[in-house]
Amino acid sequence: MSNVEEFPRRAGAPSEFESLVAASPTALDAVPGAVYLCDRDGWLVRFNSEAAALWGRSPPVGRNGTRLCGSHRLFLTDGTPLAFEDCPMATALKTGEATRNAEVIMERRDGSRFIALVNIRALRDGQGRIQGAINCFQDISEQHRTAEELQRRGRDLEDFFNNSAVGLHIVSGEGIILRANDAELSLLGYEPHEYVGRHIAEFHADAPVIGDILHRLSSGEKLESYPARLRARDGSIKHVVITSNGRFEDGKLVNTRCFTVDVTRLREAEAAQRESEDRLSATYDAATVGIAEVDVDGRLMRVNDASCEILGRSREQLLGMAIFDYTYPEDAEQDAALYARQVSGELDRYILRKRAFRPDGSMIYLDVHSSSVSDESGFKYGVRVIQDVTASKHLEDRLREGERHLRNLLEALPAAVYTTDAEGHITFFNQAAVDMAGRTPQQGDLWCVTWRLFNTDGTPLPHDSCPMAIALKENRAVRGAEAIAERPDGTRVPFVPYPTPLHDADGNLIGAINMLVDITERKLAENRQKTLIDELNHRVKNTLATVQSLAAQTARHAQSADDLYKRLEARLLALSRAHDLLTERHWTDAPLESLIRQVLLPVCGSPERVDISGSPLDVDTRTALNLTMVLNELATNAIKYGGLSTEEGRISLSWSVQTRADTALLVLLWRETGGPPVTPPTRRGLGSRLMERCIERDLGGEFNLIFGAEGVACDISIPIVAGHA
Amino acid sequence: MRYLHPHRGRARVTAFSGLRVLVVEDEATVAMLIEDMLEELGCEIAASVASVSRAMDIAPVVDVDLAMLDVNVAGEMVFPVALLLQERQIPVLFSTGYGMAGLPSEFSACQVLAKPFSQSDLVAKLALSLEH
Repeated sequence: MSNVEEFPRRAGAPSEFESLVAASPTALDAVPGAVYLCDRDGWLVRFNSEAAALWGRSPPVGRNGTRLCGSHRLFLTDGTPLAFEDCPMATALKTGEATRNAEVIMERRDGSRFIALVNIRALRDGQGRIQGAINCFQDISEQHRTAEELQRRGRDLEDFFNNSAVGLHIVSGEGIILRANDAELSLLGYEPHEYVGRHIAEFHADAPVIGDILHRLSSGEKLESYPARLRARDGSIKHVVITSNGRFEDGKLVNTRCFTVDVTRLREAEAAQRESEDRLSATYDAATVGIAEVDVDGRLMRVNDASCEILGRSREQLLGMAIFDYTYPEDAEQDAALYARQVSGELDRYILRKRAFRPDGSMIYLDVHSSSVSDESGFKYGVRVIQDVTASKHLEDRLREGERHLRNLLEALPAAVYTTDAEGHITFFNQAAVDMAGRTPQQGDLWCVTWRLFNTDGTPLPHDSCPMAIALKENRAVRGAEAIAERPDGTRVPFVPYPTPLHDADGNLIGAINMLVDITERKLAENRQKTLIDELNHRVKNTLATVQSLAAQTARHAQSADDLYKRLEARLLALSRAHDLLTERHWTDAPLESLIRQVLLPVCGSPERVDISGSPLDVDTRTALNLTMVLNELATNAIKYGGLSTEEGRISLSWSVQTRADTALLVLLWRETGGPPVTPPTRRGLGSRLMERCIERDLGGEFNLIFGAEGVACDISIPIVAGHA
Repeated sequence: MRYLHPHRGRARVTAFSGLRVLVVEDEATVAMLIEDMLEELGCEIAASVASVSRAMDIAPVVDVDLAMLDVNVAGEMVFPVALLLQERQIPVLFSTGYGMAGLPSEFSACQVLAKPFSQSDLVAKLALSLEH
């Protein structure tokens, strides 16, 4: 800045102050700067036009004019107001202290400001007394701005370098680290003093690498992502890539500009990925199932070893083929259709069992699982996993064949057969079972095929307590049980079940099989037999009681033991003959004529003396037996006292059937003729009592015994069922 | 059918003298035997019928002290008749060729005579029947 130089002093000559005050305006204006003077009291006494221009006014001079400075206001450079009485001018006037190159802010009346560089000197007289002071000031606002700008840029650059997220350093042409930023230091973990100032090679793990780096840089080469390994403070190795170039002056390397990026983690990730890929590859190759990648047309792009083995072709052969090329035509069509749907996205995946052929023509069964690898744009490629299931398919077929054979057998059995699983769900039943149950078993039916079950005594038997349920729950065969099945139509079938549990090779219960044997016939036979035996018993007992009765009655009226015996014998034999006739007819009916003959002829002797006539008619056992007794009595009496007791005597027996509305009557007429005169008995004999009972009581008919003059006559009428007695 | 016949045989004065009896029996000879036996004991045959339907007709009204019923009457079981008589508090004595097994549980308290039976059998069972 312009210095105010001391004017040479002469004795008696005017002082500086006086000279300046007296100086012409032109002289002051000649000074290339703003100048002003104040007297020892601080009043402004002179100023030049530049000062006025800078102040933006021409302030009044002299006493009571302007104090210390012509500006409107003063501020320090930091902006704080500066009182005029405190300004450097005031100081100079008070203390004589000079101010060199100080900066103040002067404000004009209009509010505008500028930065002034002030130089102030006190002016003394010959005796050294302060007469005033001079201030030369300049507007340095512009320089200030520039300086500030530069400073700011400098700060920005400093900040950029120091605080960059990337490691930055500058290395001298000799390899000494001149500067390193925080990122670089913290990357390697060094303190600045441990790093800056040392040779860069100290921190490289591989000497040849740094050697090469420096060589290249000094040759003017630019390095981009040059991989290197740096030694961190803790001894670990950091993988970095270095991007760097050199700064040259006069063709000589002054320093390098280096960017260092830590790629340790990246390297580790890459290594892990490579390892992962290697493992994936290994797995893929080691798999025992065939894994292949196919394109959108089904052409093989990649196959593992197992695929080659299964398909019996080399990798080179397979990579030229489509998956349909080795497939049986019928299956290939289906596979192609499914694959197309998978490619289009319609199907997510599918499983297919198909036939393929090996180069030698042999057929194999493959289970194929097909899926897709897709990205945002859709289908990328298909993944096929194949397994050779030829062996297990054959086994399955054999099993199924065996099963079918067995089912046919069971189906053909006439007995009802059904099976259940271990929980009792019905798994199989044959037609005979459907017929017995009167229904077709439904999905979910448990324990039994029947509609309803009953015990033999008629009480209901719940299905979950039936013999089959017991067999399953207790894991044992059940024998000797009997039950009754009721069909939906209400008919009932008695049966014997044979439930037997079934086990697998390990002995675990897997279900049970039951055979239901219809014992209706057996039951009927048993009932028939029981009935017959009861009937037999009844008849025998009744016959014995009859004999007992006859014996008692006969004894009552017998004249002698011999008479008793003869009479009893006759009656018993008559009874016996009736039984014979009935037995011949299996105790159903007897033809009336045969019956009459069988009863009468043994008693009457010669057939010519007995006249028998009537239409053919069958009588039931009751009627037969009663008529037997009656005819026997009539005949016996006829022989003793009546129509057969003389040579001329005759017997005629005729019968006919008289029909009424819904009833019929069998009318028998017994006539004795040619015998001795008849006298009615004084009291009724056993015979007539018996006869009356037989006809009226047992048969509900009418019995009339008439002792007529010409002979005994007897009219018997018995109600019969039309056509049959 | 009501059958009354003039008494024959030798009646004795017994515990059962004057006892009126209903007989239901289908076999004529057996009915005769029963009637004779009863009459020998002094009983009076109030009625003797040979069918269940006839018996059902008279059972509600017949005046008897005891009924002797054949279990199987011409193929029909006599139990409906027995039930009617039981309701009238008339003791029932069954005779049967079938044996004891044939009786329904309602008649488990009734006496049963198995044919053929002797007079003494009859006496014993009559007495038991009349005990209640």
